[in-house]
Amino acid sequence: MTVASTTSRVEVDYAGGERLTMNMGPQHPSAHGVFRAVLTLEGETVVGVDAVIGYLHRCHEKLAETLTYAQYPSIASKTDYVAAMTSEFAYVMAAETIGKIEVPKRAQYLRVIVAELQRVASHLLWLGTWCMDMGGALGGGATIFLYTIRERELILDLFEALVGARLLYGFFQVGGVRYDLPAGWIDACRKTVDFIDGRIDEYERMLEDNPFFMARAQGVGVISRELAEDVGISGPLLRASGVPFDLRRAAPYSSYEDFEFTVPSETAGDCFARYRVRMVEFRQSMAIVRQALDRLPEGTISSRPGLKSVAQIRIPKGETYARVEGARGEVGCYLIADGSAKPYRMKWRGASFSNLAVLPLIIPGHKVADVVAIMGSVDPVFGEVDR
Amino acid sequence: MASNAARHTDVTVIVRAVLGAMRMTLRNFFRKPITVHYPDKERAYPDRYRGLLALVYEPDTGEEACIGCRLCEFVCPPAVIKVEMLKSEKRNYAKTFTLELYACEFCELCVQVCPTDAIVMLKSFDLSTRDRREMLLDKDRLHALGQQHQPSWATGNRLRDMQGPPRMARPASAEATADKPAEAHAKTEGTEA
Amino acid sequence: MPAWLTPFIAGFLVLNAVILIVTYMTLLERKFAARMQSRIGPYRVGPHGLLQPIADAVKLMMKEDVVPTAADKPVYNLAPIVFLIPCMLIFATLPFAPGLGVADLNIGILFFLAVSSMEIVGLFMAGWGSNNKYALLSAMRAVNQVISYDLPFIFASLTPVLLAGSLQMSEIAAAQEGLWFVFYPVIGQLAFLAFIVSTVAAENRAPFDILEAESELVAGFRVEYSGMKFALIQFGEYAHILGASFLGALLFFGAWAGPGPEWLGPLWFLLKAMVVFLLVTWVRWSFVRIRVDQILALSWKALMPATLMLLVATAVVVVWRTDGV
Repeated sequence: MTVASTTSRVEVDYAGGERLTMNMGPQHPSAHGVFRAVLTLEGETVVGVDAVIGYLHRCHEKLAETLTYAQYPSIASKTDYVAAMTSEFAYVMAAETIGKIEVPKRAQYLRVIVAELQRVASHLLWLGTWCMDMGGALGGGATIFLYTIRERELILDLFEALVGARLLYGFFQVGGVRYDLPAGWIDACRKTVDFIDGRIDEYERMLEDNPFFMARAQGVGVISRELAEDVGISGPLLRASGVPFDLRRAAPYSSYEDFEFTVPSETAGDCFARYRVRMVEFRQSMAIVRQALDRLPEGTISSRPGLKSVAQIRIPKGETYARVEGARGEVGCYLIADGSAKPYRMKWRGASFSNLAVLPLIIPGHKVADVVAIMGSVDPVFGEVDR
Repeated sequence: MASNAARHTDVTVIVRAVLGAMRMTLRNFFRKPITVHYPDKERAYPDRYRGLLALVYEPDTGEEACIGCRLCEFVCPPAVIKVEMLKSEKRNYAKTFTLELYACEFCELCVQVCPTDAIVMLKSFDLSTRDRREMLLDKDRLHALGQQHQPSWATGNRLRDMQGPPRMARPASAEATADKPAEAHAKTEGTEA
Repeated sequence: MPAWLTPFIAGFLVLNAVILIVTYMTLLERKFAARMQSRIGPYRVGPHGLLQPIADAVKLMMKEDVVPTAADKPVYNLAPIVFLIPCMLIFATLPFAPGLGVADLNIGILFFLAVSSMEIVGLFMAGWGSNNKYALLSAMRAVNQVISYDLPFIFASLTPVLLAGSLQMSEIAAAQEGLWFVFYPVIGQLAFLAFIVSTVAAENRAPFDILEAESELVAGFRVEYSGMKFALIQFGEYAHILGASFLGALLFFGAWAGPGPEWLGPLWFLLKAMVVFLLVTWVRWSFVRIRVDQILALSWKALMPATLMLLVATAVVVVWRTDGV
């Protein structure tokens, strides 16, 4: 596939219509990161999308070969930096699977609590940025953005009290987690979760039935069930197209089988269906957090405690693919260990990378304004795409 | 869905939804803004806040706590720490200790591995400068920072103890934990909470 | 004072007053929007941000005037001025108190509505002269939208004209002696609603601001303007909004009617205009925007027939009322 040149040109095709090649991004207020979409327009309708990625490539996979199992989890947060906890989860789970390292029950519950809180925080950011894309940075979209960021800050405050950092944590460690709960954290967490629950009700009231929002979101960017299953998308996109597949239910890891939650799914496959799926996921994640807090067992937080040396953790020879249900879909880590303290090869399966593959198939036929709505509902994070 | 589409062109639904959204914005109008008037006021930073890095002195003897063992240098993912050991009769020191703060990830791994609790993170992050060379911290600068700002709760031994049952205390850390039984209680409170 | 001098002095005073009000209107909008978003808005420049508009004006004056090489220079340079002139001219027929105005024409409303539609010429000149695809796309959308919504705007404005029986602005204000037109049963409220919706759309304010669409077109037709030219365009936009707010206050809220002595009249007028402006602002910061084809569908399929029927219904009611009397 050739990459169209950046200068725009107007071509006349054989059918007599006029086509305009327009470049959207990599620097663009709603490109969600650095993403270049070369759009071919006929009037206001998009007829072709040429997606160009790679602007954020930072050689994570090569980096993993040079860093030990003790060092890399801090770096792993930087792939999906919006939902950093789930990114670290996959790598650490892969190393533990090969090395057959038991994770204490308390650590498993802490991992679940943190991952679900992270999912809520990530979806809050998604809601804010999607509405801002659709509504403009000066306008109603920005209002919803500031509200959701206000709530996300509360979750980040919880993480700050737990870990010390707000965005990129380094919370996971091979064998467990690095930090235990400080005094008063459980009550703070419960209060925050209840508060956010109430605020999400407010957002639903602002957006549901709102004719402007519905006109922008309904019927836009439909991913049919066959397409969803063919292309390999995952996460809320898949569940909104009628496939109720959730890794937490299908292949439970880290004690997810202990918790009761429903896996939301919609059949319409348009932006509104994806919105509904994520709104239900908010509530389900908060339910999981409450259950985990209620039943949090005592015990150690790591089966390899007291990390003191960079090469302390050695994983015997083996390879595995570990997957977690991240906020955006299936985040996977394929790890080949060779007995030393560093992996031989590590490959990330980025959820957003696979999700983006569906864009050139669903955007043609829509107007330019719908491109941002669709991209926002697909919710890519380019750290995951380009690694 | 036909019913859904019909629903949102129904006039009463539209009017109610529009007014509902406007009511939500008006309600937030009367809520107190959440702005913190930094730098006139600062928000309260939690105990474990990961701020700037600093080297500290031992609390009882006043000597430099760093023994130049280079464990932090080896564990640092972006390799920003460079240490040279200076051997001495009773204990070792660090001859030079440089930390490139502009490349630091603030991951706290160096704090975690330090056997003598020498390197800590502070509760302050304020080191903005116009010249990046000022963020190449040498040993004197690191010690000065340690004196200027309040360190966060996390030190090497505390972090390692939090991860597993308390182990046999090492000579350097024995003084640190023995002097502060309150922190030990707080730690166990934390794990029970 | 010679009689021919009076209009010049009046015009000069009105223009300066408009400039002052428009400058501080931007600050009012920013503080109002901020409070709705749980934050404070400008705070540090002057006490509570009161010097922020001055700082913005100084900054814009000091900026480099960047002109794209391939731009159509005469069109590009003239566009802000051609855009600004109608936006200032609409204040000519507005009476700020009985007998206090620049030119209280007996076709005042007609002049206002006709002149205010002329801003799209300057708008399109800006989009065309910039030699930028985004600007051109936005300018074409803008022309489409403003023309579509000017018709409901006119019909909604003509409803109080029918109720008052005159095109002269001061007479419309005087006819609201007993009852402000917004309180006129059913017709008044519907006309006001239509007026607000078409004002928001005709001035390219959210949720109908697809032509700016920061997240898609990055400032639309203004994208190539910087410095003082940008300031003129911004100024023209806000002056137009202010003019429409004043018109709304005059047509529906009785202009200068209010308790207290007569010299407070202009103050009440300003206050009511600010209320209309805040209503438009409140709408702006509450909704996501809709696509251009949906905007046009709303205008031609819903708003235009509705306002036309409202006008006819008002005519029937007025005739029935005067017959009864």
